[in-house]
Amino acid sequence: MMDPSNINSFEDQWRKALQEASETPPPSVWAGIEARLDKDEEKVIPLWWQSPKMWYAAASIVALMLVGGGLWYSGIEKTGVQVAVSTKPVEKPAVPAGKAAPVETAAPGLNKPETARPADDNTAIAARRSGNAAARKPENVLGKVHEPAAEPATVATATVPQNAAAKGTSNSLIAETGVPTTLPAEIASSKIAGTSNAAADENQPISAQLLASLPYSNLDVYMQKRIVFFRPEVRNEEPVKVSKPKEYYAGVGIMPASFNPDVQLKEAPMAFSAQSVSQKRAVTGSSQARASYAVQTQGGVRLSKHWSVETGVSYLRGNSAYEGGGYMLNAYNSMAANVLENALAGMPAAAANSDKSANFDNGALYIDVAKKVSNNYQYLQLPVQAGFTLNPEKKFSYSVLGGMMANFFLANELESASGDIIRTTASDEIYRGMNWAATTGLRLNYKLSANWGANLTGSYQRAVSSGFKSNQSLDSHPYLYGVSWSVRYSF
Amino acid sequence: MTFNEQELVKGCKQRNRIAQKQLYDVYGGKLFAICLRYTKNRADAEDVLQDAFIKIYENIDSFRADSPLEYWLRSVVVNTALNHLRQQKYLKELDDIDIHHNGVADREFTLGNFQMQQLQGMIQELPPGCQTIFNLYAIEGYQHNEIAQMLGISEGTSKSQYSRARSLLQQKLNKEKRFDDGSVQHKQF
Repeated sequence: MMDPSNINSFEDQWRKALQEASETPPPSVWAGIEARLDKDEEKVIPLWWQSPKMWYAAASIVALMLVGGGLWYSGIEKTGVQVAVSTKPVEKPAVPAGKAAPVETAAPGLNKPETARPADDNTAIAARRSGNAAARKPENVLGKVHEPAAEPATVATATVPQNAAAKGTSNSLIAETGVPTTLPAEIASSKIAGTSNAAADENQPISAQLLASLPYSNLDVYMQKRIVFFRPEVRNEEPVKVSKPKEYYAGVGIMPASFNPDVQLKEAPMAFSAQSVSQKRAVTGSSQARASYAVQTQGGVRLSKHWSVETGVSYLRGNSAYEGGGYMLNAYNSMAANVLENALAGMPAAAANSDKSANFDNGALYIDVAKKVSNNYQYLQLPVQAGFTLNPEKKFSYSVLGGMMANFFLANELESASGDIIRTTASDEIYRGMNWAATTGLRLNYKLSANWGANLTGSYQRAVSSGFKSNQSLDSHPYLYGVSWSVRYSF
Repeated sequence: MTFNEQELVKGCKQRNRIAQKQLYDVYGGKLFAICLRYTKNRADAEDVLQDAFIKIYENIDSFRADSPLEYWLRSVVVNTALNHLRQQKYLKELDDIDIHHNGVADREFTLGNFQMQQLQGMIQELPPGCQTIFNLYAIEGYQHNEIAQMLGISEGTSKSQYSRARSLLQQKLNKEKRFDDGSVQHKQF
């Protein structure tokens, strides 16, 4: 057999050597834990639901309402003849007769209720509900207060055999006994206050109505004590503020797009109307989209788990064509102008070019040949979009985007009837310098790493106002469909 | 429990990631050392530590401040390690073992000259049952009847496995060559 002291020594030494041992785990362990926590957090449970404080608060309120209601109810009953009695047995170990003396402090408590703070909560409730502090420790009190019934007419409905202290009768028995309260308070208090050794008269029977002879005002004091009793249940803990840093991101991308300026001729230009061809297909031409592109930069901030806002600067090259029949040809100087060209020249702001329209006033011919001319635009775009992201923590996530886009007009290049390019810039005052467009889109996000991500965004933009300053003869509401590829860096 | 620990626990109850990381930083080292004692290699120990911390964060609400936080954390880790061993079937068949006294057990010895890693290595080299019961009895301080309940074995089995562990460990200690000045020629683990 081993020597016990040696065993202790053996174990102590190992315990001493290893109990406080520490070894730094590799970083991969925390990375794994964090990944699993992230996964768990996707099962969103409202925070308040998890918080025990909310439950405590709710339980406290319910308890206060119950107690308050009970007090109010018992207060009403006190105005009648009957005293409210406890409906709930008070579970308290029986007190042996020999140990009854230490609890006689209940007796003075009748005169000074504030010193008779119940020893425990159960007894406190019993005392209150019965409307009699003596019920809290009935063993010793009853032992003494056996007064011949002064007013037999008000004798209680029940009489308790008074060997309670000796037999260890619990106060629940007493508490359940309903008694009328008609005995003057001074009788009860003087008798009870005089009690010093409770077990002396333990074998004598006693009328239960004596228990109920407290002054009414004493009960009010006990009512207040119930509030004190519940105070510890309400915890004033300040919640820990969960501060999550904002996440910013910046990205660049390119967007192949289909751009259509949707130019409409509202009325035939002067030269065309002069030739009475306004009803012809010259003025019913339409814009057609051509391959366009936008180079985009964007920056955004994630406001919450799902919501984000972003802005950026993009350069849009919007190519299109206008197909309208025919053009005007001046028979004298061989000048030619197609319908758009002529309409542009006729716009009020383009007074400098008005000679173009004047040239066709007389002697012009309308050549009815369907012709498609290029009509290309350049814009600087400034979007402001809000995004709502689904599955934000996953590798793949989806965002729904919506917002406004300020399109700053840079230039327009219109192919003329003669094949030249007419370049119009913002300073020509024909096109609006800034035109608002509504934008919406759906974005697929793919997390490449903790910071890098790749996006594929489908966008639709449509101008909400005309692209022309004056829309008397021309109107344009450009729209665009595009699919943008971009990379993003979050920090 | 110190003030900081209270804040830490409160933060963890709120699922605050910063508080969770701080808890890991403070106790991760000690708990990892426990995992190493109960497992056979570092990879297993890392798995157990990871599982244990997930349990800790998920069940932090059940922690009551009337007991030291570290005890609670240790008990979670030990339980997680035992579950791991059960899954690995290490604890499936634990039988009584006849211990033959080999005469080296009662020698005076000291662990003071051994490095912690060496001692951990010795424990890891024990047969799985012996290793677990040695850890539970000698280091964690459980009684044999408690160990028997935890592992679903008889108290006698716990005692005999422990005796064997003790004997094997003493043999390992004695294998280390000691010099008169008390220094130890360490074996490479």
